[in-house]
Amino acid sequence: MISLAALGVAYADGRRALDGVDLSIAPGERVALIGPSGAGKTTLLRVIGASLRPTAGHVRVDGVDPWALSGRALQSLRARIGKMHQAPPIPPRQRVVTAVLAGRLGQWPLWRAMASLVYPLDIAGARAALEPLGLTERLFDRCDQLSGGQLQRIALARLLYQQPKLVLADEPVSALDPALARSVAVALNDDARRRGVTLIASLHAVDLALSEFARVIGLRDGRVAFDRPAAQVGQAEVDALYAGAPVGDAAEAAEPAPRTRLTRCA
Amino acid sequence: MASERMPRRGLLISAGVLVAVLASVSRLDLVTAFAEGSDSLGELLGFLRRFAAPDTSPAFLAKVGQGAIETLAISLIGTLLAVIGGVLLALPASGRLGRPGQAAARFCLNLLRSVPELVWATLTVLAAGLGPFAGTLALALHTTGVLGRLYAEALENAPAAPEAALRGAGSGAVAAFLYGTLPAVSPQWVAYGLYRWEMNIRMAAILGFVGAGGLGAQLYYALSLFQEAQAATLIVAMLGLSLVVDAISGWLRRHLVVA
Repeated sequence: MISLAALGVAYADGRRALDGVDLSIAPGERVALIGPSGAGKTTLLRVIGASLRPTAGHVRVDGVDPWALSGRALQSLRARIGKMHQAPPIPPRQRVVTAVLAGRLGQWPLWRAMASLVYPLDIAGARAALEPLGLTERLFDRCDQLSGGQLQRIALARLLYQQPKLVLADEPVSALDPALARSVAVALNDDARRRGVTLIASLHAVDLALSEFARVIGLRDGRVAFDRPAAQVGQAEVDALYAGAPVGDAAEAAEPAPRTRLTRCA
Repeated sequence: MASERMPRRGLLISAGVLVAVLASVSRLDLVTAFAEGSDSLGELLGFLRRFAAPDTSPAFLAKVGQGAIETLAISLIGTLLAVIGGVLLALPASGRLGRPGQAAARFCLNLLRSVPELVWATLTVLAAGLGPFAGTLALALHTTGVLGRLYAEALENAPAAPEAALRGAGSGAVAAFLYGTLPAVSPQWVAYGLYRWEMNIRMAAILGFVGAGGLGAQLYYALSLFQEAQAATLIVAMLGLSLVVDAISGWLRRHLVVA
């Protein structure tokens, strides 16, 4: 599904976000990315998601090099990749049904997208996507009437409606309370398992990574620190991964660059 | 270091305004005008008295009704065209089509906006002939400049993440804009459009003075012939029309924008 060879990403100021990453992820794998803030998790997900062009090395997603494709083919590759973000990128005034249906904009012709804006064309599909998340009764509410946790589940419903072959989630549960975080992580894994699609999620919560995912990759300073089945990851390795890293909000403040880039171009 | 003196700015502004007022009064000879004005005041009152009995003959009222509908149509179509033109120019003006497009669109908007409606109307009357079409075109041209600039600013201030996320999921540029950015800017766009419509109904009434149709043309005609009674009817009609439009626009704004 995904193969990365000697992958490197350097920003314009010379800072290396990723450096010599070799990775191979088979179809249907469920992978958690962990590591301290600034380790390169977001950058790696953006490279795999065909949103960011690496400055060194090779990337193949779904059997093709995204940056050798024509514009239209790249667009259709992206339509097969579903993405979740830490902050749900949904306009506050949009209705829930429209926000969910936007998941298939990459597959719909323009006339259908426009017609659906006038009157939602696939209400049943949107309801089915919201059903497992317990949000069907909010179908016609506006998104600014929802809480942060509900909004993140709407973003998840959009992803489920898109039915992508590859799911990339960039800290999808960081802003949620622990119970909700677990339920979202479980929903992502259930969907991936049921449809046999590939799932890669970056997580701050190491316990979720170890309990819900099959394979765990530790990133630090833009390099792969370890990469093995979740059952074989030891506490010592995790401690070493985070050793010396600032904790919590201080870490977020210290490394804002990857996230702001995400909101601009992802 | 904190200032230990009372700031004198308020004092200076007050003095400046006072000087400007005194200079204007003396320049316009207002004092002598009032001093000599006992008979001209009487003249003025007599003039106003002739307006006190509006012409309410059914034939004339029907004509006024036609004029009111024409004025309403001028303002409505002019504003609608301006909304469409404003959107079309705001997209490049907010930098979506690259720097050259942005510069060109901004130049167009500045040009359209800096020429007032009345000047546009004198030009369109020359180009398109007397009548409501010239008025509609004049309103549309100026209002496009105003709305395009406001719309572009709304676009620039809208959050980029929703549209970028849709693009990242393979959506086309137009669909991503419609689903990602339009919901953020449409309330402002509608509110600005309605507000300009309120202004344009008044302006449409005035444009008739330069031959661009509607109530204004009738009022100009009536005043030229010293038909004060008919002029009074027309002024009342203009007032009524603008009140009605204000009410409709206010209602629409409450229901479309706030809700």
